[in-house]
Amino acid sequence: MLTALALCGVGLLSIASATAEQAGRSGLWKMQLVWLGVGIVAATVVVVVDYRLWAALALVLHGVALGLLGLVLAFGREVGGNRSWLEFGPLRAQPSEFAKWTTCLVLAVYLARRVRSSMGLRQLGEMSLLVAAPVGLIALQPDIGTALIFVPIFATALMIGGVRWKVLVAFVILALLFAPVGWTQLKAYQQARILTMFDPERDPSGVGYQLRQSKIAIGSGGLVGKGLFDGTQGQLNFLPAQHTDFVLATFTEELGFLGACGVLGLFYCLLWRGILAARSAQDRLGTYLCMLVVAWLIGQMAINVGMILGRLPTIGVPLPFLSYGGSALVTALCGVALVVNVRTRRFVN
Amino acid sequence: MDYRERWELKDYLFGQVIERRILLVQVALTVLVLAFVLDFWNLQGVHGDEYRVLAENNRLRRIPLPATRGEIFDRERRVIASTRPSLDLLLHRVAGPSLERQIESLAPILGESVETLRRKLDDLRATPSFDPLSVKEDVTLAELARIEARRERFPSIEVRQTARRHYPEGALTAHAIGYVGEVNEARLQTAEAPETLFRGDIVGKSGIERAYDNPLRGVRGWMVASVDSLGRQIGESQVLAEPGHGAPIEITLDIRLQRALVRAFGDEAGAGVFLDPRTGEVLALSSTPAFDPNRFADGLTREAWQSLNTDPGRPLHDRAIASFYAPGSTFKVVMAIAGLESGTIHPSDALYCAGSTVIYGHRRLCWKKGGHGRVDLERALAQSCNVYFYHLGQRMGIEPIQRYGSILGLGAPTGIDIPGEEGAILPSAEWKQRAQGQPWYPGDTISVAIGQGLLAVTPIQMATMIAGVATGRLPRPRLAHGSPDVGREIAVSASTLEIVRRGLERVVESGTGRSVTRGGFTVAGKTGTAQVFKRSAGIDADELPKAERDHAWFVGYAPVDAPRIAFAVVVEHGGHGGTSATPIVRQVLEVFFGDAGSGDAPGAPGLQASRRATAEGSGDRTAATP
Repeated sequence: MLTALALCGVGLLSIASATAEQAGRSGLWKMQLVWLGVGIVAATVVVVVDYRLWAALALVLHGVALGLLGLVLAFGREVGGNRSWLEFGPLRAQPSEFAKWTTCLVLAVYLARRVRSSMGLRQLGEMSLLVAAPVGLIALQPDIGTALIFVPIFATALMIGGVRWKVLVAFVILALLFAPVGWTQLKAYQQARILTMFDPERDPSGVGYQLRQSKIAIGSGGLVGKGLFDGTQGQLNFLPAQHTDFVLATFTEELGFLGACGVLGLFYCLLWRGILAARSAQDRLGTYLCMLVVAWLIGQMAINVGMILGRLPTIGVPLPFLSYGGSALVTALCGVALVVNVRTRRFVN
Repeated sequence: MDYRERWELKDYLFGQVIERRILLVQVALTVLVLAFVLDFWNLQGVHGDEYRVLAENNRLRRIPLPATRGEIFDRERRVIASTRPSLDLLLHRVAGPSLERQIESLAPILGESVETLRRKLDDLRATPSFDPLSVKEDVTLAELARIEARRERFPSIEVRQTARRHYPEGALTAHAIGYVGEVNEARLQTAEAPETLFRGDIVGKSGIERAYDNPLRGVRGWMVASVDSLGRQIGESQVLAEPGHGAPIEITLDIRLQRALVRAFGDEAGAGVFLDPRTGEVLALSSTPAFDPNRFADGLTREAWQSLNTDPGRPLHDRAIASFYAPGSTFKVVMAIAGLESGTIHPSDALYCAGSTVIYGHRRLCWKKGGHGRVDLERALAQSCNVYFYHLGQRMGIEPIQRYGSILGLGAPTGIDIPGEEGAILPSAEWKQRAQGQPWYPGDTISVAIGQGLLAVTPIQMATMIAGVATGRLPRPRLAHGSPDVGREIAVSASTLEIVRRGLERVVESGTGRSVTRGGFTVAGKTGTAQVFKRSAGIDADELPKAERDHAWFVGYAPVDAPRIAFAVVVEHGGHGGTSATPIVRQVLEVFFGDAGSGDAPGAPGLQASRRATAEGSGDRTAATP
C-alpha cells in the first residue's frame, strides 16, 4: 500500500509539473490530490471488509458496474469521440474503471467456486461471458484502450485457473482469427495509430507526432533529467496529453533515466509484493484475487509504458497511479486494497 | 460459502500447476520491467544527446528572413521587374472556439463567401495548428482599414508584409522575362544548391527569371526564436544570418523597341526577334499572344492556369524560340549561299522564268503567273523567283543545302540564355530515314529549296542566320549582359556574302520588301511566305479565311553599310511577308533609328504602302509542294 502511495506521490508531482505552464490547468494536481483522498478512503473501506464478504457481493457489484456502463452509453458525456463519462453534478466518473475492479472480483470468485482440478469448456464459456459483457459495453463507447486491459486479466484468469495449455493455445488462435474482423470494426484513426507504430514516419504531424514527441521528451531527459518543472517538451506543450497518458514521458524528461528506474522499480516492487500476497493467501479465492489485480496493473502499465516508448500503438491507456484521472486512481487504489486485504488475512481462519 | 477451502486441503498436484503458473507471471513481470529499463536506457543513455538536440530544435524555431528578389532592368536601366510589398492576412488557428465567428465577420469584408473560408480552414486540418491560415494575400488598404476598425473582433488575425514580384510592363515582356511562382517538388529535388532552396520559396519559372534565378533570388537569412508548441514566440529572437538579397540584373532588351514591336503586332499572333548582329544582344523579343506575368506573381488560381494552358492561342508558348515554322522564301538566302559556295552556280548564271517549270514530272509554279523572265541570282533573290531556286535545288541536291544551313545555325538551338529553346529541323537524307523511316526523294529537295516541306525553323534561328550573313559571324543571342561574345565565324567566303547582301538590298530597294524603306535608314532583307495549307495558285490570299492564310516572314538587317540591328519577324496567317511582316519591322526600326515622327503613328502609311506592293504582285507565292 505504501508503494502504491509513493507512486501516487510521483504522479501528483508530474501532474503538477506538466500542467504548471498551462492556463486553466495548473490547479489539476489539487484535483488529483482530492481524488487521492477519496481513493484512500475507498481503499480503507475495501481493506477493512473481509475479502470473502466482497466475494459474496461480487455478482451484485459486477451487475452494478454493467448497469452503469449501460447508463453511460445512454446518457454519457462525450469527450474526444468517446462516450465514457457519467456526470453527477460537478463529479465525473468513468464506470469502465470500476468495471475492471468488479471483473477481477467476479472472475476470482468464479474460479474459486466452480473450477476444480481443471477447467472445462463450459467454465471457459461462462467466464468469457462475465468478461465479454463489460468489454462489449466499453468497446461500444468506443474506448478500445480500456477494453484491451481486460485481455491480460482474462488471460491470467484462464492460466491460473488451470486451463490446459492446449485450450489456451486454441483460444489464442481463435482470437487471432477474429482479429481481422476486429480490425474492420476499428475507427480509421485507431487503425492509423496501429499502423504508425510500425512506421512512425507515416504521419509525422498527426498520429506520429505524439509518438515522436514522447520519444524526444524521454530521450532528451538523459541520465538525470532536466530538473523538475524544467522539462521543455512537457512544459512548452510539445507533448500532447503530458499529464494524462504521457505523464511518465513528462516525468522522465524531468528526472531522466534515474527517475524512470525509480518509477519502474516502484511498480516492480508493488507487483512483486502482490504476487507474494497471492502465494501466501490462505485460500484459493485470495490467490486468484491477488493475481487478477496484479495482472490488471501489469497489463495497464505495460500498455502505457510500451506506448510512450513507441513499442505499442497510442491507444489511450493511463498509467496506474500516475496519470491524471480520478476514477482510474480510485479504482487502482481499491485494487491494491484488495491485495492488502488478502495479505492481512493470510493467517486468520 | 464453501470456497473457504484452504490450500493444504486441496489437490496437491493442482496446486503445483498453479504455483508454476504464478512463477511464470513473476518471470514475465521481471522480463517486462527489465525490457522497459533497457528501452529507457536506449533512449536516455545511448541516444540522449540526439534527443536533446531534437528537443532544442522543437523549442528553438528557425524563422526564415526572406531575401528580396533582384530587380531586372532593360539596357537603359528602365525597370522591367521589381519587388513590391504586399500585405497578407493570416488567421492563427490556435486561438480556438471563436474562429468560426471571426470567419463569419471576415468574409463580407473581403468579399468572399463564408463557405470558401471555412473550406480553406478545413483543408489545413492535417497540418500542425501553429501554421496559420493564409486568408487572403495582397489585401487592399481599404480592406485592411475595415479590419483594423473592428480589430477587437479579429483577435486571431495577423497582417504580415511579404514581397511580391511586379512587372510594370505586364504582358509586354512576358516571354523574355518569364514569371515567378512557388517552387515545385521536382525543382526542390533536383536543385543544384538544395541548402538554399526551401519549400514555399518563390523562384523563376521561365525566361530570364528562370535562367538567372540563383543570382536574382539571393539567399534567405535566418533568425532563431524560442517558441512553444503553438509557435508563439517566447523570449528574445536572435538573427543567425542576414538574408543575402538578390542581385539586380540588367538585360539587353530595349523597352522602347519591345513596346514598338508588340504594339506593331497588335492582335496578330507570331514572333519577332531583333538583335545586335555584332554582339548577339537581343534588343526586342516578342511572342504573341502573351500573358500577364503579374497574374502568376499574385498566385494563379487553378482555373486561371487551366484557361491559360488550354487557350488555343497558346499564350504561354514562346514562339520566338520554340515554335517551328517553314521559313518560306527567306530560306532562299541559305540556298543562294549554298549554291555559290558549292560552286553549283555563278552569280551571272541566269535562266528564264516563264511562271512555271516542270521538274520530276510535276509542274511547279512561280508565285508570279506571268513569270519573271530572265533572272540571275541577284534578281532571283530580289524578286523571290521560285523557278530559279527549284532548278538550283535540283542541281545541287540536299547535301550542300543541309551543310550550309547548318553553318548558318539552322537545325540547332542558337544557345540563347533563356530556357525552352528548340532546335527545329534542318532535314537531310539521313534525318528523314531516322525520323520518318523513309528514303529521301528528289522532290523533297525541291520543296526545301523554297523553304517548305520538311524544313522547320524558329524565329530566333532566322534572326541569327541573317545576322551571320550581315557580319560574317554567327552570334550567340543573349539577353543578359556579360562577357562579349563575338560569335562564330561562318565558313562562307566574303565574296559570296557580298553577292547575297546585294541581293538582299535589292529586295528592299525594288523587290518584295520595298514597303520597309520609308525611314532615313537603309535596310537589307528577305520576305517569305510560308504555306500553311496546300492549295493551287490563283486564289487571292486576302479572300481566304484567316486560319488558312500563309505565315508571313521578314528577315533582314540595317543599316546596310554597317549593320547594327538584325531581325526576324513572323506573322502567323499574315499572308504575304511583304504585306504584314514588313510594316512591323519598319515600325521597330523607326524607333531604333530615332524616327519618332511616324513611329508613334503605327501602321497606317506602311500598311498602305504594302497594300500597293501586293497589288503590284510583290508578295511571293509558292506553288503546291509535292
